[in-house]
Amino acid sequence: MESEDDMHDANDIDSLDDDFYSGETEDAPLDYYSDYDDEADDYFEDADRIESRRPEQNFTILKESDIKQRQEEDVTRVATVLSISRIFASILLRYYNWSVSRVHDAWFADEEQVRKTVGLLEKPIVQLDNNTKELTCGICFENYPRARIEMASCGHPYCISCWEGYISTSISDGPGCLMLRCPDPTCGAAVGQDMISLLKSDEDKQKYARYLLRSYIEDNKKSKWCPAPGCEYAVTFDAGSGGNYDVSCLCSYSFCWNCTEEAHRPVDCGTVAKWILKNSAESENMNWILANSKPCPKCKRPIEKNQGCMHMTCTPPCKYEFCWLCLGVWSDHGERTGGFYACNRYETAKQEGVYDDTERRREMAKNSLERYTHYYERWASNQSSRQKALADLQQMQTVHIEKLSDIQCQPESQLKFITEAWLQIIECRRVLKWTYAYGFYLPEHEHAKKQFFEYLQGEAESGLERLHQCAEKELQPFLCADEPSREFNDFRTKLAGLTSVTRNYFENLVRALENGLSDVDSNGASFSRATSSKNAAGSSKSRSGRVKGTFRTSMSSRMNDDSHWCCEHCTYANVKSATTCQMCYQQRR
Amino acid sequence: MANSNLPRRIIKETQRLLSEPAPGISASPSEDNMRYFNVMILGPTQSPYEGGVFKLELFLPEEYPMAAPKVRFLTKIYHPNIDKLGRICLDILKDKWSPALQIRTVLLSIQALLSAPNPDDPLSENIAKHWKSNEAEAVETAKEWTRLYAIGA
Repeated sequence: MESEDDMHDANDIDSLDDDFYSGETEDAPLDYYSDYDDEADDYFEDADRIESRRPEQNFTILKESDIKQRQEEDVTRVATVLSISRIFASILLRYYNWSVSRVHDAWFADEEQVRKTVGLLEKPIVQLDNNTKELTCGICFENYPRARIEMASCGHPYCISCWEGYISTSISDGPGCLMLRCPDPTCGAAVGQDMISLLKSDEDKQKYARYLLRSYIEDNKKSKWCPAPGCEYAVTFDAGSGGNYDVSCLCSYSFCWNCTEEAHRPVDCGTVAKWILKNSAESENMNWILANSKPCPKCKRPIEKNQGCMHMTCTPPCKYEFCWLCLGVWSDHGERTGGFYACNRYETAKQEGVYDDTERRREMAKNSLERYTHYYERWASNQSSRQKALADLQQMQTVHIEKLSDIQCQPESQLKFITEAWLQIIECRRVLKWTYAYGFYLPEHEHAKKQFFEYLQGEAESGLERLHQCAEKELQPFLCADEPSREFNDFRTKLAGLTSVTRNYFENLVRALENGLSDVDSNGASFSRATSSKNAAGSSKSRSGRVKGTFRTSMSSRMNDDSHWCCEHCTYANVKSATTCQMCYQQRR
Repeated sequence: MANSNLPRRIIKETQRLLSEPAPGISASPSEDNMRYFNVMILGPTQSPYEGGVFKLELFLPEEYPMAAPKVRFLTKIYHPNIDKLGRICLDILKDKWSPALQIRTVLLSIQALLSAPNPDDPLSENIAKHWKSNEAEAVETAKEWTRLYAIGA
């Protein structure tokens, strides 16, 4: 029997040309410099490009017309295979959550049972005499000529206006209208789309059509709406192909298919959920209160001590006076307990171990809070950098590219490398952001891993800064120039090179982290810090056993194209003619 | 007055309710509002409500029959699916309503509910708990309430 998957494949052609890049694998030589010219003008193509570098694209973005078409095709297929009307086919599909194969399985297993549960009757329950001129509507009890009466497959007669009332009430009750049954409570015959056409109200018809369309996406396990606000595209996903759940919608939003949070590689969905919960959780506030306040011994309201001596007076109405250190009543204190800034009683008691438990808890809460804050701040700042970069990209595309094209006398298609750079920055910010959640959950005791991770993260950060700097600052002179500058081509080479280097670094970083840094021995014995900072990126990457296209191989493959050489110091790809590296000014060796 | 343009369906239903009443059930429209019915249901035999006369009110909303009638017990009753305000937990009064149902079918269903309380789908948590933990005792309470509130009132 045919499965739905074939179906989807058949539809892929029209929707998108996202298969365009799918031939490109990690192992293929990076033909970065050669494909400027044949790139399409659409910027979203670039977004696809980034995604498509991953081993294979296992999702398809659907526009409304695509959804409708697929739905129609599924209905046709079921109707043809089961030899039933399209109306019945549609009801069946809706019942089995739009899974063609489930419909087929159920139907061929026990057609009678399926017909009964779904309400597709073969012959009417109520047989009408052909001579009957008048019928009584079962809802309003009026008599009508035959032409004013309608019925579902069961034959229970209701007048058209009662049908209208029945159907439109059900439509305004929500998507349940797609499963509407005959008004007779004992009957259960399904009411199909043909009856919907009885409606006079276009608004109701549209609503119904909307529910039908939504149902195709929402009830279908293989598809989801893009979660970006206002985006109307849907995504179908083929779960067969392993761990990568990242989906990049045509609206440029990237999200995780599995958990529908924003894309979060290299961190897994569970960690993301934990992290998001943590960010929003009251528990962090509670931790803060626990760490930084003590409850008033009398009224128990939390008090933060931000200055002054140990003599505390609670705010009215409580006004209780007590010692901050031992929480005893202040009237027992004074000169003899060491004055306003000390408390002998506390010191003695502490030595006797009375305060240990609560104090330790307070101290631990404080530490864990500081640790969390550390990671959260960096997570959040990468998030806002990313937002800023998105805005910059927008600005770049709407204003600067055109201007630059004029000044530098370059066709806009030749300026693609700038957009590429910005898209890479945005992607890197995203990855970097999530590495902080990764770091937060890295077990404390795995020192070697932690150290290695922080090293990789540091390198990633500085690599990205270098790219960001180049895309932002070094572009400026060319934007302000009065005439084409000769250095512009050098700038192009540099920025494109940086983009490519950074992309590689981040892709490898993501893979290494997804592997859980598995090549690092957790006791740290066999791990020595990456040989030297010189070729750090290269060596750290080649440690990842499962990484296919390591930094080095992709570099060397590019070197094989004879037009570039790779700087051993900074890994920058220089044009062949250069004798010193254009990035770090080291001599070529 | 609103009664003047009463749908024919309501008029017909009313006529039939008055001319062929269901056994143990009486329903008559109020004089000033034909959509408001005073209802009496006799406690079914072999139920803890036997011998009681239960008063209910029934109202047909503007959307009737597309929307269900609103029904409520006026007589106090000890029943897991009826709360202390007299509200009734019955599927056909909510999501299972169909315009093909009628006042008569609704009242018959309520009568059946008195014969077969359903403590697994309770409206009144306490009574349902009572019913499930000690049915005999709960039935006694129901009988007691019937005596107190539904007989000779």
